[in-house]
Amino acid sequence: MAFAVGPAGNLGLRLVFSKTPEPSLTYGLLSIQAAAKQAFSDSLIDSIVGYTTLTLFFRPLVLDRERAQRWLEEQAEQIGSLADALATSCRTVTLPVLYHPSVAPDLEWLAEHQNLSVDNVIERHSKTPYFAYATGFAPGFCYLGTVDERLATPRLSTPRANVPAGAVAVADRQTAVYPCASPGGWRLIGACPTPLFDLHSDPAALLSVGDTVKFEPISMDDFRTLQARQDKA
Amino acid sequence: MRTLGLIRSGIACTIQDSGRMGHQQNGIPPGGAMDMYALRMGQHCLGHSDNQAALEFAYGDLAFETSHPCRFIVTGAPTIISIGHSERDSGRIEETPAHQVVTIKSCGQGIYSYLHVAGGFNTPPELGSRSTSPRERIGGLEGRHLRDGDTLPLGAQINQPNLEYLSNPAVRQRDVLPLRFVPGFQFDAFLDAARQTINSHVFSVTPRANRMGIALDGEPVDTGVVSLLSEATCYGAIQIPPDGKPIILLNDRQTVGGYPKAGAVISADCQRLVQARPGQRVKLVAITPQEADRITWLEHHYLETKLS
Repeated sequence: MAFAVGPAGNLGLRLVFSKTPEPSLTYGLLSIQAAAKQAFSDSLIDSIVGYTTLTLFFRPLVLDRERAQRWLEEQAEQIGSLADALATSCRTVTLPVLYHPSVAPDLEWLAEHQNLSVDNVIERHSKTPYFAYATGFAPGFCYLGTVDERLATPRLSTPRANVPAGAVAVADRQTAVYPCASPGGWRLIGACPTPLFDLHSDPAALLSVGDTVKFEPISMDDFRTLQARQDKA
Repeated sequence: MRTLGLIRSGIACTIQDSGRMGHQQNGIPPGGAMDMYALRMGQHCLGHSDNQAALEFAYGDLAFETSHPCRFIVTGAPTIISIGHSERDSGRIEETPAHQVVTIKSCGQGIYSYLHVAGGFNTPPELGSRSTSPRERIGGLEGRHLRDGDTLPLGAQINQPNLEYLSNPAVRQRDVLPLRFVPGFQFDAFLDAARQTINSHVFSVTPRANRMGIALDGEPVDTGVVSLLSEATCYGAIQIPPDGKPIILLNDRQTVGGYPKAGAVISADCQRLVQARPGQRVKLVAITPQEADRITWLEHHYLETKLS
Protein backbone atom coordinates (compact mmCIF):
# COMPACT_ATOMS: atom_id res chain seq x y z
CA MET A 1 0.00 0.00 0.00
CA ALA A 2 1.37 3.41 -0.97
CA PHE A 3 1.97 5.72 1.98
CA ALA A 4 3.95 8.78 2.98
CA VAL A 5 5.15 10.22 6.30
CA GLY A 6 5.68 13.94 6.73
CA PRO A 7 5.32 16.90 9.08
CA ALA A 8 2.03 18.07 10.59
CA GLY A 9 3.16 21.43 11.91
CA ASN A 10 6.31 21.81 13.98
CA LEU A 11 5.18 19.36 16.65
CA GLY A 12 3.52 16.64 14.65
CA LEU A 13 3.97 13.86 12.13
CA ARG A 14 1.36 12.54 9.75
CA LEU A 15 1.13 9.12 8.07
CA VAL A 16 -1.03 9.22 4.93
CA PHE A 17 -2.14 6.27 2.81
CA SER A 18 -3.16 7.05 -0.75
CA LYS A 19 -6.14 4.76 -1.08
CA THR A 20 -9.91 4.65 -0.58
CA PRO A 21 -10.93 4.43 3.07
CA GLU A 22 -11.93 0.95 4.21
CA PRO A 23 -12.28 -0.78 7.58
CA SER A 24 -9.07 -2.82 7.22
CA LEU A 25 -7.05 0.37 6.71
CA THR A 26 -8.70 1.94 9.79
CA TYR A 27 -7.88 -1.16 11.87
CA GLY A 28 -4.28 -0.88 10.74
CA LEU A 29 -4.12 2.83 11.65
CA LEU A 30 -5.63 2.07 15.07
CA SER A 31 -2.97 -0.58 15.70
CA ILE A 32 -0.21 1.86 14.82
CA GLN A 33 -1.84 4.46 17.08
CA ALA A 34 -1.83 1.97 19.99
CA ALA A 35 1.80 1.04 19.27
CA ALA A 36 2.77 4.73 19.13
CA LYS A 37 1.30 5.31 22.60
CA GLN A 38 3.57 2.52 23.87
CA ALA A 39 6.65 3.54 21.89
CA PHE A 40 6.55 7.28 22.65
CA SER A 41 4.58 7.22 25.95
CA ASP A 42 4.77 10.62 27.65
CA SER A 43 6.30 12.46 24.74
CA LEU A 44 3.20 11.81 22.64
CA ILE A 45 0.53 14.32 23.66
CA ASP A 46 -2.24 13.42 21.22
CA SER A 47 -2.95 11.17 18.25
CA ILE A 48 -5.82 11.12 15.79
CA VAL A 49 -6.90 8.46 13.29
CA GLY A 50 -8.65 9.94 10.24
CA TYR A 51 -10.05 8.19 7.14
CA THR A 52 -6.65 7.36 5.67
CA THR A 53 -4.33 9.16 8.09
CA LEU A 54 -2.74 8.90 11.50
CA THR A 55 -1.52 12.16 13.03
CA LEU A 56 0.79 12.21 16.06
CA PHE A 57 1.44 15.32 18.16
CA PHE A 58 4.52 15.48 20.38
CA ARG A 59 5.55 17.51 23.39
CA PRO A 60 7.89 20.37 22.36
CA LEU A 61 11.62 19.55 22.38
CA VAL A 62 11.27 15.78 22.67
CA LEU A 63 10.47 14.95 19.06
CA ASP A 64 13.37 13.15 17.40
CA ARG A 65 11.96 13.75 13.95
CA GLU A 66 14.16 11.28 12.04
CA ARG A 67 13.67 8.48 14.52
CA ALA A 68 9.91 8.95 14.79
CA GLN A 69 9.60 9.17 11.03
CA ARG A 70 11.53 5.91 10.56
CA TRP A 71 9.41 4.24 13.23
CA LEU A 72 6.18 5.30 11.48
CA GLU A 73 7.48 4.10 8.13
CA GLU A 74 8.37 0.70 9.56
CA GLN A 75 4.89 0.39 11.09
CA ALA A 76 3.24 1.44 7.84
CA GLU A 77 5.16 -1.24 5.93
CA GLN A 78 3.55 -3.97 8.01
CA ILE A 79 0.09 -2.44 8.34
CA GLY A 80 -1.60 -5.46 6.73
CA SER A 81 -0.58 -7.88 9.48
CA LEU A 82 -1.41 -5.34 12.21
CA ALA A 83 -4.92 -4.84 10.87
CA ASP A 84 -5.86 -8.51 11.08
CA ALA A 85 -4.97 -8.69 14.76
CA LEU A 86 -7.22 -5.77 15.62
CA ALA A 87 -10.21 -6.53 13.41
CA THR A 88 -11.55 -9.15 15.82
CA SER A 89 -11.34 -6.96 18.92
CA CYS A 90 -13.54 -4.06 17.75
CA ARG A 91 -17.04 -3.58 19.08
CA THR A 92 -20.52 -3.48 17.60
CA VAL A 93 -22.82 -0.86 19.09
CA THR A 94 -26.58 -0.93 18.46
CA LEU A 95 -28.36 2.42 18.64
CA PRO A 96 -32.18 2.66 18.88
CA VAL A 97 -33.69 5.16 16.43
CA LEU A 98 -37.15 6.62 16.10
CA TYR A 99 -37.72 7.30 12.41
CA HIS A 100 -40.77 9.59 12.48
CA PRO A 101 -41.52 12.95 10.84
CA SER A 102 -42.22 14.52 14.24
CA VAL A 103 -38.53 14.16 15.17
CA ALA A 104 -37.07 13.97 11.65
CA PRO A 105 -37.84 17.04 9.51
CA ASP A 106 -36.14 15.63 6.39
CA LEU A 107 -37.48 12.05 6.47
CA GLU A 108 -40.45 12.64 4.17
CA TRP A 109 -38.47 15.03 1.99
CA LEU A 110 -35.76 12.41 1.48
CA ALA A 111 -38.31 9.71 0.58
CA GLU A 112 -39.95 11.99 -1.97
CA HIS A 113 -36.65 13.29 -3.33
CA GLN A 114 -35.35 9.75 -3.88
CA ASN A 115 -38.65 8.36 -5.07
CA LEU A 116 -38.89 5.89 -2.21
CA SER A 117 -41.52 5.23 0.43
CA VAL A 118 -40.74 6.40 3.96
CA ASP A 119 -40.69 2.75 5.07
CA ASN A 120 -38.19 1.97 2.36
CA VAL A 121 -35.92 4.82 3.50
CA ILE A 122 -36.08 3.47 7.05
CA GLU A 123 -35.35 -0.05 5.87
CA ARG A 124 -32.40 1.03 3.75
CA HIS A 125 -30.92 3.16 6.53
CA SER A 126 -31.34 0.59 9.31
CA LYS A 127 -30.43 -2.65 7.51
CA THR A 128 -26.78 -1.73 6.86
CA PRO A 129 -24.15 -2.05 9.60
CA TYR A 130 -22.00 1.08 9.48
CA PHE A 131 -18.33 1.53 10.18
CA ALA A 132 -16.96 4.41 12.29
CA TYR A 133 -14.25 5.90 10.07
CA ALA A 134 -13.48 9.12 11.86
CA THR A 135 -14.47 11.45 14.70
CA GLY A 136 -14.57 15.21 14.87
CA PHE A 137 -16.92 18.16 14.36
CA ALA A 138 -18.13 17.90 17.98
CA PRO A 139 -17.31 15.76 21.05
CA GLY A 140 -18.54 12.23 20.42
CA PHE A 141 -19.45 12.86 16.75
CA CYS A 142 -18.57 9.88 14.56
CA TYR A 143 -18.57 9.77 10.76
CA LEU A 144 -20.26 6.49 9.80
CA GLY A 145 -20.23 4.82 6.39
CA THR A 146 -21.26 3.70 3.97
CA VAL A 147 -24.86 4.77 3.35
CA ASP A 148 -27.03 3.04 0.72
CA GLU A 149 -26.59 4.73 -2.65
CA ARG A 150 -30.28 5.54 -2.89
CA LEU A 151 -30.13 7.58 0.34
CA ALA A 152 -27.13 9.67 -0.69
CA THR A 153 -28.14 13.34 -0.63
CA PRO A 154 -26.23 16.59 -0.65
CA ARG A 155 -26.04 18.68 2.52
CA LEU A 156 -28.38 21.63 3.05
CA SER A 157 -27.02 24.69 1.26
CA THR A 158 -27.69 26.69 4.43
CA PRO A 159 -27.01 24.67 7.57
CA ARG A 160 -29.67 24.66 10.29
CA ALA A 161 -28.75 26.93 13.20
CA ASN A 162 -29.84 24.34 15.71
CA VAL A 163 -29.88 20.58 15.25
CA PRO A 164 -31.08 18.84 18.45
CA ALA A 165 -28.95 16.33 20.35
CA GLY A 166 -29.65 12.77 19.17
CA ALA A 167 -30.61 13.77 15.61
CA VAL A 168 -29.78 10.96 13.17
CA ALA A 169 -28.56 12.47 9.95
CA VAL A 170 -27.31 11.61 6.46
CA ALA A 171 -25.09 13.51 4.02
CA ASP A 172 -23.64 12.05 0.83
CA ARG A 173 -22.78 8.43 1.69
CA GLN A 174 -22.24 9.19 5.39
CA THR A 175 -24.49 9.03 8.42
CA ALA A 176 -24.10 10.21 12.01
CA VAL A 177 -25.84 11.03 15.27
CA TYR A 178 -25.42 14.60 16.60
CA PRO A 179 -24.18 14.10 20.20
CA CYS A 180 -25.24 17.58 21.35
CA ALA A 181 -27.32 20.46 20.02
CA SER A 182 -25.30 22.29 17.38
CA PRO A 183 -25.58 23.90 13.97
CA GLY A 184 -25.59 21.30 11.19
CA GLY A 185 -26.09 20.87 7.47
CA TRP A 186 -26.93 17.16 7.27
CA ARG A 187 -30.44 15.83 6.51
CA LEU A 188 -32.29 14.71 9.63
CA ILE A 189 -34.10 11.40 9.29
CA GLY A 190 -34.43 10.10 12.85
CA ALA A 191 -33.78 10.58 16.57
CA CYS A 192 -31.68 8.44 18.89
CA PRO A 193 -32.45 8.56 22.64
CA THR A 194 -29.08 7.10 23.69
CA PRO A 195 -26.59 9.78 24.81
CA LEU A 196 -23.43 9.73 22.68
CA PHE A 197 -21.29 11.93 24.86
CA ASP A 198 -21.26 12.31 28.62
CA LEU A 199 -18.38 14.01 30.42
CA HIS A 200 -19.10 11.99 33.54
CA SER A 201 -18.84 8.60 31.85
CA ASP A 202 -15.58 6.86 31.14
CA PRO A 203 -14.98 6.94 28.22
CA ALA A 204 -16.95 10.14 27.65
CA ALA A 205 -17.71 9.25 24.02
CA LEU A 206 -19.92 6.21 23.34
CA LEU A 207 -18.56 5.60 19.84
CA SER A 208 -14.97 5.44 18.74
CA VAL A 209 -13.19 4.94 15.43
CA GLY A 210 -13.26 1.27 14.41
CA ASP A 211 -16.65 0.53 15.96
CA THR A 212 -19.43 -1.06 13.93
CA VAL A 213 -22.75 0.71 14.47
CA LYS A 214 -26.23 -0.68 13.85
CA PHE A 215 -29.42 1.37 13.93
CA GLU A 216 -32.50 -0.37 15.29
CA PRO A 217 -35.90 1.20 14.46
CA ILE A 218 -38.04 1.68 17.57
CA SER A 219 -41.62 2.79 18.16
CA MET A 220 -42.71 6.16 19.52
CA ASP A 221 -43.59 4.48 22.83
CA ASP A 222 -40.15 2.88 23.15
CA PHE A 223 -38.54 6.20 22.24
CA ARG A 224 -40.49 8.01 24.97
CA THR A 225 -39.66 5.32 27.53
CA LEU A 226 -35.94 5.45 26.70
CA GLN A 227 -35.94 9.23 26.73
CA ALA A 228 -37.71 9.37 30.09
CA ARG A 229 -35.14 6.92 31.47
CA GLN A 230 -32.34 9.23 30.26
CA ASP A 231 -33.99 12.31 31.73
CA LYS A 232 -34.21 10.55 35.08
CA ALA A 233 -30.54 9.52 34.96
CA MET B 1 -13.70 30.36 50.67
CA ARG B 2 -11.56 32.88 48.81
CA THR B 3 -13.37 34.13 45.72
CA LEU B 4 -13.00 36.62 42.91
CA GLY B 5 -16.09 38.54 41.80
CA LEU B 6 -16.17 39.72 38.21
CA ILE B 7 -17.73 43.15 38.06
CA ARG B 8 -17.08 43.62 34.35
CA SER B 9 -16.17 40.54 32.30
CA GLY B 10 -15.24 42.41 29.10
CA ILE B 11 -14.72 40.53 25.86
CA ALA B 12 -14.29 36.77 25.38
CA CYS B 13 -13.41 36.23 29.03
CA THR B 14 -12.69 32.58 29.87
CA ILE B 15 -10.69 30.46 32.28
CA GLN B 16 -7.68 28.94 30.51
CA ASP B 17 -4.71 26.83 31.52
CA SER B 18 -2.11 25.07 29.38
CA GLY B 19 -4.83 23.07 27.59
CA ARG B 20 -6.57 19.74 27.43
CA MET B 21 -4.34 17.09 25.89
CA GLY B 22 -5.17 13.67 24.57
CA HIS B 23 -8.84 14.10 23.63
CA GLN B 24 -8.69 15.20 20.01
CA GLN B 25 -9.64 11.70 18.88
CA ASN B 26 -13.02 12.31 20.54
CA GLY B 27 -13.48 15.67 18.84
CA ILE B 28 -12.36 17.80 21.78
CA PRO B 29 -9.93 20.59 20.85
CA PRO B 30 -6.92 21.29 23.08
CA GLY B 31 -8.03 24.83 24.03
CA GLY B 32 -5.67 26.50 26.51
CA ALA B 33 -4.30 30.04 26.70
CA MET B 34 -3.97 31.68 23.28
CA ASP B 35 -0.71 33.34 24.40
CA MET B 36 0.97 30.44 26.15
CA TYR B 37 4.08 32.52 27.02
CA ALA B 38 1.93 35.05 28.84
CA LEU B 39 0.25 32.22 30.75
CA ARG B 40 3.53 30.54 31.72
CA MET B 41 5.23 33.77 32.73
CA GLY B 42 2.35 34.93 34.94
CA GLN B 43 2.02 31.57 36.64
CA HIS B 44 5.77 31.40 37.13
CA CYS B 45 5.90 34.85 38.72
CA LEU B 46 3.30 33.78 41.29
CA GLY B 47 5.19 30.58 42.05
CA HIS B 48 2.53 28.39 40.45
CA SER B 49 3.04 25.35 38.26
CA ASP B 50 2.71 25.84 34.49
CA ASN B 51 -0.71 24.31 34.22
CA GLN B 52 -2.61 26.42 36.72
CA ALA B 53 -5.38 28.53 35.27
CA ALA B 54 -5.69 32.25 34.57
CA LEU B 55 -8.50 34.48 33.28
CA GLU B 56 -8.00 35.21 29.61
CA PHE B 57 -9.72 38.33 28.24
CA ALA B 58 -9.53 40.15 24.91
CA TYR B 59 -9.01 43.87 24.29
CA GLY B 60 -8.25 44.48 27.97
CA ASP B 61 -11.45 45.52 29.70
CA LEU B 62 -12.05 43.93 33.08
CA ALA B 63 -13.08 44.87 36.62
CA PHE B 64 -13.03 42.61 39.66
CA GLU B 65 -12.83 42.44 43.42
CA THR B 66 -11.67 39.68 45.73
CA SER B 67 -13.14 38.42 49.00
CA HIS B 68 -9.73 38.44 50.70
CA PRO B 69 -6.47 40.37 50.23
CA CYS B 70 -4.84 38.94 47.12
CA ARG B 71 -1.64 38.91 45.09
CA PHE B 72 -2.11 39.03 41.34
CA ILE B 73 -0.35 39.81 38.09
CA VAL B 74 -1.63 40.69 34.61
CA THR B 75 0.39 39.48 31.61
CA GLY B 76 -0.03 39.31 27.84
CA ALA B 77 -1.32 42.35 25.93
CA PRO B 78 -0.21 45.38 28.01
CA THR B 79 -2.82 47.03 30.23
CA ILE B 80 -3.18 49.76 32.84
CA ILE B 81 -4.31 48.51 36.24
CA SER B 82 -6.20 50.75 38.65
CA ILE B 83 -6.40 49.78 42.32
CA GLY B 84 -8.33 52.55 44.05
CA HIS B 85 -6.77 55.81 42.83
CA SER B 86 -3.42 54.37 41.89
CA GLU B 87 -2.63 53.38 38.34
CA ARG B 88 0.21 51.21 37.12
CA ASP B 89 1.43 49.21 34.13
CA SER B 90 0.75 45.48 33.91
CA GLY B 91 3.49 42.85 34.17
CA ARG B 92 4.22 43.35 37.87
CA ILE B 93 3.00 41.56 40.99
CA GLU B 94 0.30 43.62 42.71
CA GLU B 95 -1.55 43.34 46.00
CA THR B 96 -5.19 44.24 46.41
CA PRO B 97 -7.10 44.53 49.68
CA ALA B 98 -10.38 42.66 50.14
CA HIS B 99 -13.40 44.14 48.33
CA GLN B 100 -11.33 46.75 46.51
CA VAL B 101 -12.48 47.30 42.92
CA VAL B 102 -9.60 46.66 40.50
CA THR B 103 -10.04 47.76 36.90
CA ILE B 104 -7.92 46.75 33.92
CA LYS B 105 -7.82 48.80 30.71
CA SER B 106 -6.11 48.11 27.41
CA CYS B 107 -3.14 50.20 26.23
CA GLY B 108 -4.24 49.73 22.61
CA GLN B 109 -1.74 47.00 21.80
CA GLY B 110 -2.19 43.26 21.46
CA ILE B 111 -5.35 41.24 22.05
CA TYR B 112 -5.22 38.74 24.92
CA SER B 113 -4.32 39.63 28.51
CA TYR B 114 -4.22 37.24 31.47
CA LEU B 115 -5.20 37.83 35.07
CA HIS B 116 -3.33 35.40 37.34
CA VAL B 117 -4.30 35.31 41.00
CA ALA B 118 -2.18 33.71 43.73
CA GLY B 119 -3.72 30.35 44.66
CA GLY B 120 -5.14 29.96 41.17
CA PHE B 121 -8.72 29.68 39.93
CA ASN B 122 -10.22 26.62 41.53
CA THR B 123 -12.99 25.67 39.12
CA PRO B 124 -13.26 21.88 38.68
CA PRO B 125 -10.96 20.44 35.99
CA GLU B 126 -12.78 18.46 33.29
CA LEU B 127 -10.93 15.84 31.23
CA GLY B 128 -7.73 16.92 32.94
CA SER B 129 -7.94 20.66 32.37
CA ARG B 130 -9.67 23.84 33.58
CA SER B 131 -9.56 25.37 30.09
CA THR B 132 -12.93 26.52 28.78
CA SER B 133 -14.15 25.22 25.41
CA PRO B 134 -17.41 27.15 25.00
CA ARG B 135 -18.48 25.31 21.81
CA GLU B 136 -18.14 21.95 23.57
CA ARG B 137 -19.38 23.39 26.89
CA ILE B 138 -16.43 21.89 28.73
CA GLY B 139 -14.23 23.29 31.48
CA GLY B 140 -14.06 26.73 33.11
CA LEU B 141 -17.26 27.86 34.79
CA GLU B 142 -20.14 25.77 33.39
CA GLY B 143 -18.22 25.46 30.12
CA ARG B 144 -19.05 29.04 29.11
CA HIS B 145 -17.72 32.55 28.63
CA LEU B 146 -17.67 34.46 31.90
CA ARG B 147 -20.29 37.13 32.56
CA ASP B 148 -20.62 40.23 34.73
CA GLY B 149 -21.42 39.15 38.27
CA ASP B 150 -19.79 35.70 38.09
CA THR B 151 -18.03 34.55 41.25
CA LEU B 152 -14.95 32.36 40.83
CA PRO B 153 -13.43 30.15 43.54
CA LEU B 154 -9.76 30.78 44.35
CA GLY B 155 -7.21 28.37 45.82
CA ALA B 156 -5.23 29.12 48.99
CA GLN B 157 -2.50 31.72 48.56
CA ILE B 158 0.49 29.71 49.75
CA ASN B 159 3.39 30.12 47.36
CA GLN B 160 5.83 33.00 47.49
CA PRO B 161 6.30 34.91 44.23
CA ASN B 162 9.25 33.83 42.11
CA LEU B 163 9.64 37.10 40.26
CA GLU B 164 8.25 40.58 40.84
CA TYR B 165 8.42 41.77 37.29
CA LEU B 166 8.73 40.55 33.71
CA SER B 167 8.69 41.84 30.18
CA ASN B 168 6.63 40.08 27.58
CA PRO B 169 8.45 39.28 24.36
CA ALA B 170 5.29 38.40 22.43
CA VAL B 171 3.87 41.90 22.07
CA ARG B 172 6.30 43.81 19.88
CA GLN B 173 5.18 45.97 17.00
CA ARG B 174 6.34 44.85 13.57
CA ASP B 175 5.46 46.29 10.18
CA VAL B 176 5.20 42.85 8.63
CA LEU B 177 4.98 39.92 11.01
CA PRO B 178 6.74 36.86 9.58
CA LEU B 179 4.76 33.63 9.99
CA ARG B 180 7.19 30.78 9.42
CA PHE B 181 5.44 27.57 8.42
CA VAL B 182 6.26 23.93 7.79
CA PRO B 183 4.65 22.87 4.49
CA GLY B 184 2.40 19.83 4.70
CA PHE B 185 1.76 17.04 2.22
CA GLN B 186 -0.90 18.90 0.28
CA PHE B 187 1.34 21.88 -0.45
CA ASP B 188 3.07 19.97 -3.27
CA ALA B 189 -0.32 19.29 -4.88
CA PHE B 190 -1.23 23.01 -4.95
CA LEU B 191 -1.03 24.84 -8.28
CA ASP B 192 2.31 26.63 -8.83
CA ALA B 193 0.53 29.99 -8.74
CA ALA B 194 -1.03 29.13 -5.38
CA ARG B 195 2.33 28.17 -3.89
CA GLN B 196 3.81 31.38 -5.23
CA THR B 197 1.03 33.55 -3.74
CA ILE B 198 1.44 31.88 -0.36
CA ASN B 199 5.21 32.33 -0.41
CA SER B 200 5.34 35.92 -1.62
CA HIS B 201 2.10 37.78 -0.89
CA VAL B 202 1.71 40.03 2.13
CA PHE B 203 -1.60 39.14 3.79
CA SER B 204 -3.33 41.03 6.59
CA VAL B 205 -5.11 39.98 9.77
CA THR B 206 -8.90 40.50 9.55
CA PRO B 207 -11.40 41.08 12.37
CA ARG B 208 -12.66 37.53 11.69
CA ALA B 209 -10.42 36.28 14.45
CA ASN B 210 -11.21 34.32 17.57
CA ARG B 211 -9.95 31.39 19.59
CA MET B 212 -10.77 28.99 16.74
CA GLY B 213 -8.69 30.74 14.13
CA ILE B 214 -7.63 33.94 12.41
CA ALA B 215 -8.77 34.71 8.86
CA LEU B 216 -6.28 36.53 6.65
CA ASP B 217 -7.14 38.87 3.80
CA GLY B 218 -5.23 39.29 0.57
CA GLU B 219 -4.99 37.85 -2.89
CA PRO B 220 -7.25 34.76 -3.01
CA VAL B 221 -5.33 31.48 -3.24
CA ASP B 222 -6.70 29.06 -5.83
CA THR B 223 -5.16 25.80 -4.65
CA GLY B 224 -6.55 23.68 -7.49
CA VAL B 225 -7.22 20.99 -4.88
CA VAL B 226 -10.90 20.03 -5.01
CA SER B 227 -11.92 18.06 -1.96
CA LEU B 228 -10.16 16.01 0.65
CA LEU B 229 -11.09 13.46 3.25
CA SER B 230 -11.22 14.99 6.69
CA GLU B 231 -8.00 14.58 8.64
CA ALA B 232 -6.67 15.90 11.95
CA THR B 233 -6.06 19.65 11.98
CA CYS B 234 -2.95 20.90 13.72
CA TYR B 235 -2.16 24.04 15.68
CA GLY B 236 -1.26 26.78 13.21
CA ALA B 237 -2.66 24.92 10.17
CA ILE B 238 -3.02 27.21 7.14
CA GLN B 239 -6.43 26.18 5.86
CA ILE B 240 -7.58 27.45 2.46
CA PRO B 241 -11.41 27.51 2.26
CA PRO B 242 -13.23 27.88 -1.08
CA ASP B 243 -12.97 31.71 -1.02
CA GLY B 244 -9.17 31.37 -1.16
CA LYS B 245 -8.54 33.47 1.97
CA PRO B 246 -6.28 31.54 4.38
CA ILE B 247 -7.41 30.84 7.94
CA ILE B 248 -4.79 30.00 10.58
CA LEU B 249 -6.31 27.40 12.91
CA LEU B 250 -5.68 27.87 16.62
CA ASN B 251 -6.52 26.47 20.07
CA ASP B 252 -10.29 25.98 19.71
CA ARG B 253 -10.18 24.68 16.11
CA GLN B 254 -12.36 21.79 15.06
CA THR B 255 -10.23 18.69 15.48
CA VAL B 256 -10.67 17.47 11.89
CA GLY B 257 -11.11 19.33 8.64
CA GLY B 258 -11.34 18.63 4.94
CA TYR B 259 -10.20 21.93 3.42
CA PRO B 260 -6.81 22.01 1.68
CA LYS B 261 -3.97 23.03 3.98
CA ALA B 262 -0.68 24.60 2.91
CA GLY B 263 1.05 23.53 6.10
CA ALA B 264 1.19 24.89 9.63
CA VAL B 265 2.63 28.07 11.12
CA ILE B 266 5.16 27.13 13.82
CA SER B 267 3.99 27.53 17.43
CA ALA B 268 6.45 30.34 18.20
CA ASP B 269 5.00 32.54 15.45
CA CYS B 270 1.41 31.61 16.32
CA GLN B 271 2.11 33.12 19.75
CA ARG B 272 2.83 36.45 18.05
CA LEU B 273 -0.05 36.13 15.59
CA VAL B 274 -2.65 35.69 18.35
CA GLN B 275 -1.65 39.11 19.73
CA ALA B 276 -1.85 40.81 16.30
CA ARG B 277 -4.67 43.29 15.82
CA PRO B 278 -6.78 43.44 12.65
CA GLY B 279 -4.85 45.18 9.88
CA GLN B 280 -1.47 43.74 10.97
CA ARG B 281 0.39 42.69 7.84
CA VAL B 282 1.82 39.16 7.82
CA LYS B 283 3.99 37.16 5.47
CA LEU B 284 4.09 33.39 5.26
CA VAL B 285 7.60 31.97 5.02
CA ALA B 286 8.17 28.26 4.31
CA ILE B 287 10.88 26.62 6.42
CA THR B 288 12.10 23.03 6.85
CA PRO B 289 10.96 20.88 9.79
CA GLN B 290 14.58 20.91 11.04
CA GLU B 291 14.64 24.72 11.07
CA ALA B 292 11.30 24.68 12.92
CA ASP B 293 12.78 22.33 15.55
CA ARG B 294 15.74 24.68 15.99
CA ILE B 295 13.43 27.68 16.54
CA THR B 296 11.29 25.70 19.01
CA TRP B 297 14.45 24.84 20.94
CA LEU B 298 15.63 28.46 20.99
CA GLU B 299 12.22 29.81 22.08
CA HIS B 300 11.93 27.32 24.93
CA HIS B 301 15.43 27.96 26.18
CA TYR B 302 14.90 31.70 25.93
CA LEU B 303 11.81 31.32 28.09
CA GLU B 304 13.60 29.04 30.57
CA THR B 305 16.35 31.63 30.85
CA LYS B 306 13.86 34.45 31.40
CA LEU B 307 12.10 32.48 34.09
CA SER B 308 15.12 31.29 36.04
